[in-house]
Amino acid sequence: MSIERNPDRPRIDAREKVLGKAQFAADRPVPGLLHAMTVPAAIAKGDITAIDVERAAGVPGVVRVFTWRDFADIRETPATRGGGGDKPGYQPMKRPSVRHRGEPVALVVAETLEAAIEGAEAVSVRYRPSSFTASREQPGAEREPVTVDHRAGDAPAAFAAATSKLDVTYLHPQQHHNPIEMISTTAAFVDGKIVVMEGTQNSAAFKFGIAGMLGQDPQSFESSSPYVGGGFGQKNQLQQQSALVVRAAMLLKRPVKLVMPRSQLFHTATYRPLSRHRVQVGAGADGKFEAVLYDIEQQNSRFDQFGAAAGEHVSRMYATPNWRSTNQRVRVDVQAPAHQRAPQEHPSSYATECAYDELAYALGVDPLELRVRNDTQHDPITGKPFTSRNLAECLRRGAARFGWDRRKKEPGSMRTRDGMLVGFGVGAGAYKASMSPAVAKLRVNADGSSRLAITGHEFGQGMRSAVAAELINVLDIDPNRLEIALGDTSVAPQHITVGSWGCASSAPAARAAAELLRSKLVELVGAGRAKGPVASAIARARRPFLEVEVSQAGLEQPATVFQRLNSGMPAPVGPEYKQFTAFSWIAHFAEVHVEPSTCRVRVPRVVSVCDCGRVLNHRTAQNQVRGGVVWAFGAALRESAEIDARFGRILNNDLADYVLPVNADIGEIDVELLDVPDTNLNISGAKGIGEVAMVGATAAIVNAVYHATGKRVRHVPIRIEDLL
Amino acid sequence: MTDRSNDETIGITRRETLHGGAVASLALATPPAPAAAQLPAPARLPAHAREFGLQLATSINGEPVSVAIDARSSLLDVLREGLGLTGAKKGCDHGQCGACTVHLDGRRVASCLTLAAKADGREIVTIEGIADGETLHPMQQAFIDHDALQCGYCTPGQIMAAIACVKEGHASSREEIREYMSGNICRCGAYVGIVAAIEQASTKMRRA
Repeated sequence: MSIERNPDRPRIDAREKVLGKAQFAADRPVPGLLHAMTVPAAIAKGDITAIDVERAAGVPGVVRVFTWRDFADIRETPATRGGGGDKPGYQPMKRPSVRHRGEPVALVVAETLEAAIEGAEAVSVRYRPSSFTASREQPGAEREPVTVDHRAGDAPAAFAAATSKLDVTYLHPQQHHNPIEMISTTAAFVDGKIVVMEGTQNSAAFKFGIAGMLGQDPQSFESSSPYVGGGFGQKNQLQQQSALVVRAAMLLKRPVKLVMPRSQLFHTATYRPLSRHRVQVGAGADGKFEAVLYDIEQQNSRFDQFGAAAGEHVSRMYATPNWRSTNQRVRVDVQAPAHQRAPQEHPSSYATECAYDELAYALGVDPLELRVRNDTQHDPITGKPFTSRNLAECLRRGAARFGWDRRKKEPGSMRTRDGMLVGFGVGAGAYKASMSPAVAKLRVNADGSSRLAITGHEFGQGMRSAVAAELINVLDIDPNRLEIALGDTSVAPQHITVGSWGCASSAPAARAAAELLRSKLVELVGAGRAKGPVASAIARARRPFLEVEVSQAGLEQPATVFQRLNSGMPAPVGPEYKQFTAFSWIAHFAEVHVEPSTCRVRVPRVVSVCDCGRVLNHRTAQNQVRGGVVWAFGAALRESAEIDARFGRILNNDLADYVLPVNADIGEIDVELLDVPDTNLNISGAKGIGEVAMVGATAAIVNAVYHATGKRVRHVPIRIEDLL
Repeated sequence: MTDRSNDETIGITRRETLHGGAVASLALATPPAPAAAQLPAPARLPAHAREFGLQLATSINGEPVSVAIDARSSLLDVLREGLGLTGAKKGCDHGQCGACTVHLDGRRVASCLTLAAKADGREIVTIEGIADGETLHPMQQAFIDHDALQCGYCTPGQIMAAIACVKEGHASSREEIREYMSGNICRCGAYVGIVAAIEQASTKMRRA
């Protein structure tokens, strides 16, 4: 099946954004709004023996001080933060106890923000602390049994028999998403319903999940999140504050807004947990893999179900006849971790792609050549073909764009004219190609305006641009007169937009709607008169408008999947399908410069080539890859939560001390997208791009640091002191 | 605990004055951000705040504004919560991210670190005040042309900082732009586009 390629087009909502008119959750005008502020727990574990609210209640402007007594009837359900599967999660402020530092213990609501802040500072809480464990190294850390997640052949035996062996362990720190939009929750009353406005990738949770926690009918709730100020997985679910703010508004019968301060979010919102990766590779002298044993240990809270799937993509990266990956959770007294951009794929690719680099140097094989030699068109785990895999092409094209042939083999052998040590590094990545059900409602008016209401959330990845592309292509509509409503439970059923399945689910729904509308027009006026811009054809048909609605399931999904969609439940499919396995693929090449006396590391350029299926919007897709590389830079050289295990506290809980990549850190990032449609997967030919963008890029930078310095650092972030 | 009713203490708030009638469109529509000319008439402070009250007389986006403020308020909170100018964003409230950047007497400032009272008698320009009607400022157009954004949350601050960066004469090379734009964090990582956009706009701004 052939399908048109998309030309260069601007981002569909860029104009609103540069005008400052895009309204994020905390920007939305609500008459009579009250402001809330939370009081964070000052202990890591224990009981609350008393809360003195009198002084806070006396602060002029304070309307009410809520404590656990007001929220004891909120239910913990699988939708609650820290749930997963069918297990209930943990909701703070339900009882007079604390399970992790920084969880809210009081909520002050006031007429103004200033009064709410002063009120929160005036709340006095007395605790009876109990002993706790804040680190996996401390006594009291609970080790769960080791589980095997992916297996092929007999990896232990094949490893024992291999001629060349490598056994290395890599450490990855705790990291925090830190989208620049702090998480805010506003509960307002509109037309007899409670509308929850929180920047989220999962508005359905704010209709169905909130209703369940508050013992209400979901039909009493709507959730609206048309713009999200960055998500990266931190906005996947209800937050600790969400049900509290909604219940407070219900009790006060007035709208309430809470913008949780950044310092508190470090302790209440999710994060990428600390992990340890042991990689054992057995290979032939030619560098062909014979066996890989990969064992991951990952920190978790006492109550969260996040984990597993750690070997999902790395087991598919190369022809590995014998594979075994295991994972183990280690539970301590912290808040729940969860998905952060390329949740398992980033740390797993970091550890394995660095280990393979070590193997290449040990065998004297070019690291690029090692990857190409181990290329495969079949999934080593299932034996099925990949629906599309152009990784070798990504590696070859990337090497050419980068100038990999200028690489000198010996570490520390390349220098710039001004004396900087130069390193070249390569890393590759993959991310599952999944899909979820989506509903699209399209109306095109004879006057040339149109409106699309659709399942999906926009957090900068370019969802609006992706769905608009299909309407423009099929119907030749005017994008400047197209209104797109999404991330809103009142306009279409909503599904959680994560895991790089967003655009690959919503774009096919938009395309199906566009094709249905075109065929309706053909029925009305005949094929000849239905051609060209659809609005003109509708006008020629003397209709004021045409409208259609389609329900588009993911590949192989039964019609019953819409029952899940309509009740706010996640319903993704992939990466394993009946006939094939599906992934997006990427190759990254990094050049680093290391100043030889101070060991300051710079990354002047990165080249990334990606196979993400058909490109829906070139600008937004390329931007996603650049963003993934910036994230990988942060992981390689900057980001780490510094935890004081004595107090269970994150010390660097602000944006000055949790060091994020800034403009001066980032050099040139050259991106090529292969733009090969994968119409086996869906009618848009799209696979995901937002997550794969980051996978393998940290390894490319770390490997380049080794090439520049000859020092193999097996933890990130690599800092000056590691190289001195 | 107190549970004072709204009516006893505050009567009508500035927000109600500004946004009356907006509630019906809440779930769906995006009401336009108010232009300076539509700013509300001076409103009185809630009773409780009068002990902290000050009258702020300033100019916002070229329009004179007189507004009662809480002396504790940051300029960012007055713009956003008091005046409905929500283009400037709160990303950290500590002057660490740059999302709240506005111009005060032509200089870029972190409005979250600026007491609103300090703006008395001075000129404030926000993201809402830089376009000329439907014609975008060259920096806004350049941000679109180079897709110098993703989620758009840091974008107003980036654009205000970028305009100042050019006017300060700190946009002569990519390296200089990167250095002088490093007070504005873009977590989506659109830095390559931001630098390209500033290069384009600086040429146009110099010609203008």
